[in-house]
Amino acid sequence: MAIATDLEPRRAPSLGDALDRYYGSLVSTAAVVAFLLVWQVAAARGWVNARYTSSPGQVLAAALDIARHDDFLHHAWVSFSAFSLGFAAAFGFGLPLGLALGTSRRLRLFIDPPMMALYTAPRLTLLPILIIWLGIGVASKVAVVFLGAVFPIIVNTMAGVREADPHLLQVARAFGARRLDSMIKVLVPGALPAILLGVRLAIGRGVLSVVVGEMFVSEAGIGHQIMNYGEAMQVGHLMVYAFAISLFGYALTILVRLIEDRVRSWRPQP
Amino acid sequence: MSQIEIADVAIEYRKPNSDETFTAIRGVSLAVEKGSFVTVVGSSGCGKSTLLLAIAGLIPRSRGLIHIDGRDVEGPGRDRAMVFQDAALLPWRSVHGNIRFGLELQRWRRDDIDERARRFTELVGLDKFSDYHPHQLSGGMRQRVNIARALAVDPDVLLMDEPFAALDAQTREVMGNELLRIWERDKKTALFVTHAIDEAIFLGDRIVVMAKDPGRIKAIVDIELPRPRTTAMLDSAAFIAYRHRLRDYIAADMRSLALVGDAA
Repeated sequence: MAIATDLEPRRAPSLGDALDRYYGSLVSTAAVVAFLLVWQVAAARGWVNARYTSSPGQVLAAALDIARHDDFLHHAWVSFSAFSLGFAAAFGFGLPLGLALGTSRRLRLFIDPPMMALYTAPRLTLLPILIIWLGIGVASKVAVVFLGAVFPIIVNTMAGVREADPHLLQVARAFGARRLDSMIKVLVPGALPAILLGVRLAIGRGVLSVVVGEMFVSEAGIGHQIMNYGEAMQVGHLMVYAFAISLFGYALTILVRLIEDRVRSWRPQP
Repeated sequence: MSQIEIADVAIEYRKPNSDETFTAIRGVSLAVEKGSFVTVVGSSGCGKSTLLLAIAGLIPRSRGLIHIDGRDVEGPGRDRAMVFQDAALLPWRSVHGNIRFGLELQRWRRDDIDERARRFTELVGLDKFSDYHPHQLSGGMRQRVNIARALAVDPDVLLMDEPFAALDAQTREVMGNELLRIWERDKKTALFVTHAIDEAIFLGDRIVVMAKDPGRIKAIVDIELPRPRTTAMLDSAAFIAYRHRLRDYIAADMRSLALVGDAA
């Protein structure tokens, strides 16, 4: 009986193999270095106005300045806590709702139109009304993050559940599965790739939301600092904060990707 | 009393988007003795799988009675287990995990689940592959998992819906032999649907021949070949005689269909 394997005959790795393996990273690194060089040279030579563009050197100096004089950790903590609260609420609310919507046609008919309206509306248009309801402060920020993150989770969970193999559900039923059994043992594992995709999209939207929220409704946080330094025309400082928040979002996204890869390990490799 | 008693069963479907109904099977009566291996043959569309799903309790019947050990079938139950046509394994679970599936759903004790899953993985010869996922297995191996999953829950009646239909001829023969080897151990009542005549004769104590339009039982043939069955029997005079007889039944069904086609 044949077993499908993806093993190829082994041979000694050569320099060419090493180049192949690291080719992507090499090119990406070279691109970043080249960009920083051009940026530095262009600003130093006066090809561009460094007052507007800053330069890698100035950004580095700004980073040191921030490390010494700004309360960076405090601002990071303010943003992080608002993001975490909003995201946790979005996940805790979105996952069950997505599962319910995926399995119940009636619920879908009932909730789909208003949800899609909210989903497609630019959420920041809701910011003024959130401020009226919740005031300026943490609650509004958390609400903005929640609104940003909850829809990708709901919509992708729902899609994942609806694509579940009806045959597998029949198998479960034949072995006496109750509704909750089918949910836990068939629907959720089957929808897991879609759920994680939703989580990944939600992270991006949540990070964006916390920054934008802080620009308007906060006395602290990364978004607040970006706004401040923008008004003061301190482009270098602004970029340090922008870079910090990008790095945070990027790191989280990579983390979810790693989980996604693990979850997909049962799938045939493309 | 027979273990499975089926009396005058009809199954009708509502055609999608219309008020018309489609009669899948009608007037089906059958008794299956405890410990016997009954095969069901017929051309496609004769309702043989429908009958099996109704016995499994997965689809409702429009009329008639289905009793297992004297109890009315109202839905799926622990007394029956189903082997599905396309294996239908959970792709994210390993061989071992898939064999556990039915046991978990039926809430067996944890120790028993582990022990039985291991035992039945071994029984179908997959102990070396217990950590493999379905996409890493051949079609024959997937069907072994499918069979082990059903046997593991210790059903009184084993229902099999064309489990070897998608396999190549050689694998199919091997699997038929395997199935009989496993079945001989404790002779659970088995109902096996197939469209392959040789397979039906080779496996069965009794063959139920079904015809279509509407799906119904056309003949019941007792197979008097000794057990254990061997591949050599496939060439015996008795086997060939059964083959001719069954082929005639099924060809007649195809012919009547062709006439209907000409008239239209």
